Amino acid sequence: MAAGQRGYEACTGCSLCLLACPVWRATRDIRLTPHGRARALQCGATADELAASIDACTLCGACEPACPQDIGLVAMITGLRAELARHAPARVASVRDRMNDRMAARFAGSAAEIRLLPDRALAADPVLLGRVARLFGGDGKVSVAADDGSDIALALEAGAEISEARLERFLVPLRGARRLIVGDGMLVRALRGWLPAVRIESLGVAATCTAAVRDRLRASDLYVIEPRAYHADQERLVKYYDALRLALGCSMNLDLQRLAIPTTAGCLPAALGRSSVDVRDQARWILEGREFARIVVEDLNDIAAYTAVTDKPVVHLAQLI
Amino acid sequence: MDIPVIEPGVIPPDHVAPDALQGIRRQQTNPKRWDGAGWTEFAEVLRSAGIEVVEQPSLRGTFATDAGGTAYGMPHGVVIARSAVQVADLLRAAQAHRVPVTARGGGLTTEGESVAFGGVLLDMTGMSRVLAIDREGLTVRTEAGIFWHSLAEVLRRQNLDYLSAPLNLTSSVGGTLGVGGIDVNSARLGCSADQAISLQVVTPTGEIVECSDTQNPELFQRVILGYGQFGVITEATLKVRPYTPLHLHYLYYTSLRTAIEDLQLLDRNDASDYSGILTMMDKVVNLLVAFDSDAREAAFMTAWRARLRGHGEAAVALRMAAYYALHPWRLGEALFLYERRRKLFPEFRRAEYTRGGVMFDRTVVFSRAVWKFWGGRQMVIPDLAASEEKFVEAVLRGNAVCRKYFRHYTLYCVGIKLREDHRAHYELSCVPPDARERAYGCEFEPMIGDQVIARDRLQSFKNEIYDIGVELGTSYYRFGGMMKGYVRRVFGDALVDKHLAHKRRADPAMILNRDVIF
Repeated sequence: MAAGQRGYEACTGCSLCLLACPVWRATRDIRLTPHGRARALQCGATADELAASIDACTLCGACEPACPQDIGLVAMITGLRAELARHAPARVASVRDRMNDRMAARFAGSAAEIRLLPDRALAADPVLLGRVARLFGGDGKVSVAADDGSDIALALEAGAEISEARLERFLVPLRGARRLIVGDGMLVRALRGWLPAVRIESLGVAATCTAAVRDRLRASDLYVIEPRAYHADQERLVKYYDALRLALGCSMNLDLQRLAIPTTAGCLPAALGRSSVDVRDQARWILEGREFARIVVEDLNDIAAYTAVTDKPVVHLAQLI
Repeated sequence: MDIPVIEPGVIPPDHVAPDALQGIRRQQTNPKRWDGAGWTEFAEVLRSAGIEVVEQPSLRGTFATDAGGTAYGMPHGVVIARSAVQVADLLRAAQAHRVPVTARGGGLTTEGESVAFGGVLLDMTGMSRVLAIDREGLTVRTEAGIFWHSLAEVLRRQNLDYLSAPLNLTSSVGGTLGVGGIDVNSARLGCSADQAISLQVVTPTGEIVECSDTQNPELFQRVILGYGQFGVITEATLKVRPYTPLHLHYLYYTSLRTAIEDLQLLDRNDASDYSGILTMMDKVVNLLVAFDSDAREAAFMTAWRARLRGHGEAAVALRMAAYYALHPWRLGEALFLYERRRKLFPEFRRAEYTRGGVMFDRTVVFSRAVWKFWGGRQMVIPDLAASEEKFVEAVLRGNAVCRKYFRHYTLYCVGIKLREDHRAHYELSCVPPDARERAYGCEFEPMIGDQVIARDRLQSFKNEIYDIGVELGTSYYRFGGMMKGYVRRVFGDALVDKHLAHKRRADPAMILNRDVIF
């Protein structure tokens, strides 16, 4: 839990977390929400009793900046998932196996000041990854992590234990960076805690700071912010994206609370096929009533979600250049 | 006053308000838990009808209290509302088995009105989808468990907005229509309950009925401002309007009386679209004035601004500095006000919501601030709802009570335009019978923060505020639940008995929202 954050004991039941929760929107079942979990925990519920609720969370993180009591709701979920994993290790066996298979991390061109840590989907697309790297200066200025840490991101999401050795192998090459650009929103939050001396930015923020991307964004675009990185630093980023929106005139996937509405496409419950949120329904809700000619996404996982519900072009940031 | 002999279970005389609590049974401030007779058979009937009944203690505990955090009760089971038919099945079975049913929306009551002391807790947020928007006719049909904010989210995509709703993101439509619903535009547009065009209601005996001013008007009258006694609102058709951001002005006063007089001057003359008073103690009184358009703002600046006695922020800061320089023993209060201002004001001026004096999404701004700065484990908000003529005295006397009990508190005052054709709706409601064109409400909210204060002390505070209402002949917004000891004192036996007879006819087993009013 981050400094200044409080535990579930502080929940007053105001329900503000519900308003931004995609699981609540899909189910209208308070038991599956941060409010429901916190209140149940206050009444003595165990992690096992709340397993269905804990598993349902997409970890988009929107509830956390919405909470007026500053409860660490993301840490609450990951902590509860870790507790479940301790009680039933089989839940995370496949995640553990993946981590054990990882090779030692290394960087190509590790002298570069900027390190790019792509998420799993971006790492799997070398052409797009090359474009992203060129966006930040290309060879010599930016180095791309050979170890994308996707197993660590998955472990964080699943509540699986991350061995010190694995974490150290992942972090060692990153420590020398002056600036670290991170594609996976789950890792952005964690890396800020692990590497406090390094300037860590989400791919979306870093990309939209470049003239190449800004020049190609249009007022008729719907710009889709990756929710996890945004909500991990919402107090600051709400101002950044608001200024960007004003400067460019585009619309964004923000609700009236200025929280990013997720498709939930890349989350663990969706990957396991057990999500209570219909990704297409979320995409339709994001698009409802909005006028746009093109969708620009920060997260590659969102492309399929939007393509399924609109005929308008859907592109990743890097495809703008 | 006929004061009965003190007996076990009755709160003894209170040293702060000598006769505030005499005669009010403790069980009336925290109802006796239903004994559970026949619960198992009842739950079985529901399950056989395909209705999920949650009985796991920790999950029932989710609903153990309301926003007030002083009344605690556990339902025997929770049912998440899914359809009017399901609610009807539930209520029919509840009548047959005499099982109490407590309907709950956002759970933002403060007197335990949405707390189930046994029986079924019916979570209406399960029915919270917008069903249809008529852009031409400017209406929306929605399930009634929806939060006003969720409704606003959907309406905004069509560049529409609701007319008036509580400045709280998680009030539900159904709950609000049952009690009133006050916004900073209520002086002009009336309370939220007056925005309802028609309702789908499930009666306590399980009939699904559509009602409006012209269709089943008696039921409509009972349910609107009916404190949930005469049916569960499952759907509502509401008026909506084109969305407009607010052109916002704050005027500052050091006198409550002057600020209230100016508020009423504005309201009488329709000089603003939004008006309300929010104070920091009684030292800095903030009159909010806002407009939907440049034209209305310009008209105000030309015709009314100079007639108001409020100051700008700098001027009031100078006055406060002079006051505290002459009253150095009140330095603690000055530091509190300074600190409050330092933290609170930026929240109202966040760049993503306010640009060039124009505020977008006022409910988000105010509600977030309310929960952040006033929210806590306990929340008591006694209020007085008075006619225009009695309002100043009611507020000043209530303010004196606040000062006596709490170091820090806030007052929130607004006007409420009344509809003559809805007079029948206002019987036994927050609208005082002597109010004509407009009523006024003031909420007295101690800033408790993370403190936990003894319930009896909070009850004494509330009682002393409500005693002012008895004396002045005002009404209250929150007269149910723990405050229901005041119902007969305020409304009189004849009116209460009339409504009680209605209730007994409509709800023979007296199962729906038992102990809230009756």
